[in-house]
Amino acid sequence: MKSRRLIFQILLVLILIAIGGTMMVIGRGHTVYFDNKSLDYQGSTYASPYKIEIYQGSSAEGDALSKLYDGERASATQIGQKITVTLVITQEKGGDEADPVTYTIDLPYNMDGPIINLPAYLAGLPEEAYLSEFIPVITEDPDEEVPTGGDDMSLGDF
Amino acid sequence: MMRKEHAKLNPKRLLQDNSVPLMFVVICLICLPLAGYSPSYLLNELVTRMGRNTFLILSLLIPIMAGMGLNFGMTLGAMAGEIALILVADWQIWGIPGIVLAMIVSIPISILLGVFCGNMLNKAKGREMITSYFISFFMNGVYQLVVLFMMGPIIPIMHATLKLPRGYGIRNTVSLLNMRQQLDNLLAINVGGVKIPVLTFLIIGVLCLVIIWFRRTKLGQDMRAVAQDMEVARDAGINVDRTRIIAIVMSTVMAGFGMIIYLQNLGNFPTYNAHVQIGTFSIAALLVGGASVEKASIGNAFLGVILFHMMFILAPETGTTITGDSMIGEYFRTFVSYGVITVALIMYETKKRMIKSQTGHLLALAQKEEEERAK
Repeated sequence: MKSRRLIFQILLVLILIAIGGTMMVIGRGHTVYFDNKSLDYQGSTYASPYKIEIYQGSSAEGDALSKLYDGERASATQIGQKITVTLVITQEKGGDEADPVTYTIDLPYNMDGPIINLPAYLAGLPEEAYLSEFIPVITEDPDEEVPTGGDDMSLGDF
Repeated sequence: MMRKEHAKLNPKRLLQDNSVPLMFVVICLICLPLAGYSPSYLLNELVTRMGRNTFLILSLLIPIMAGMGLNFGMTLGAMAGEIALILVADWQIWGIPGIVLAMIVSIPISILLGVFCGNMLNKAKGREMITSYFISFFMNGVYQLVVLFMMGPIIPIMHATLKLPRGYGIRNTVSLLNMRQQLDNLLAINVGGVKIPVLTFLIIGVLCLVIIWFRRTKLGQDMRAVAQDMEVARDAGINVDRTRIIAIVMSTVMAGFGMIIYLQNLGNFPTYNAHVQIGTFSIAALLVGGASVEKASIGNAFLGVILFHMMFILAPETGTTITGDSMIGEYFRTFVSYGVITVALIMYETKKRMIKSQTGHLLALAQKEEEERAK
């Protein structure tokens, strides 16, 4: 009876660990940045198109996440290890829009804010070329924050 | 059976037993027209607050069932929930997975704190409420030590958005923007302009079913036996101390979950004092619902949430209407929160003394009769 209980308890702990592990993988959040900027890689220049319309998801219906002109950046939040975007590309000003194409891009687990250079990605370059990490720059000395440990909380919040 | 029915139908007794909820119904009825809120606004607020708070209040039922009174130590569970949320926010786990992970992470911390609290309460039998109240104060200090000095150098915290500018310790406010109302919005439906967080209510419903089921289990029966008389329970072969520790551990774990549900609804929390008053307000809400130190039901929890929060919503606006100052309403609801706990504790002590004196009187009469018979 005791050993049965112990097995049950160990099983329960293992199940909880497994659920926790799964949540860590499927729930990892990223702020994904999309760049429409020209890129030099191994001596070649990959020019940015005039405009890229980005739709989050597998269709170009509804409102676009952003319309990126040459040299611009957009961001989207994504939970999980992949992001699916549909791109509508206009190569030149006044030119025709290409048909929407859907891409699924892998997002590295250890990056909070991956930057995807779209011209490099569309040119089929390796991950090291199109992927970099967004690191926020602190430009000013932060004000010292004094932790407060008062004994009450706004009643209205309860 | 007849006696029970008679007691139920006795209007004086009924009034006496439900004096606190009735008082709140009267207060709410007076405040309702003065506040001038639209029914849809009121319902929306009430439903939101029910989803936000009911789980926390339900976590108080098990210790009452075990005869340990109102568990002010539920604050410990709230702290465990907060620590779990800080860690999950740092690991950047968002949405529902973040909430589930926070609940899982909070379990071992809650168990640890619950076992500690349960052991302390076993050493202070008969004075559980005051002991648990002070344990929560003591643990608040430990919590501050962990969050203010250990998070960063000992417990790894990577994100500067969470850390204090000095490089260790957590900022005054933790943002849960990426989890905000995720539980409430999933499966939510809109009925006549009132948003109903179906999933949150389903979770609360499951907890209610678990509590009902648990009461019928062997452990549940043991807890009730311990609540009736510890000596008799011990003689019947029940491990009284272990049963009481389990009750507190269960309450602490549930309070941890409740705090996570509560904070995901708010979307951020003040790191150093979000948990401080949570026990007091949850207990006040339960008492407003007609519960007592020794008896509380699921119905009391729901009624308490409705009445207590109705007053919370109405009081500031009513204060403004009557006196032109909304702070009057704030003061009112503050003193009512503490007042209702004080009244409940006085009533409990008075009742206990009355029963004691009645028993003493009956014993004296029996002794007198025996002496007369002997003569």
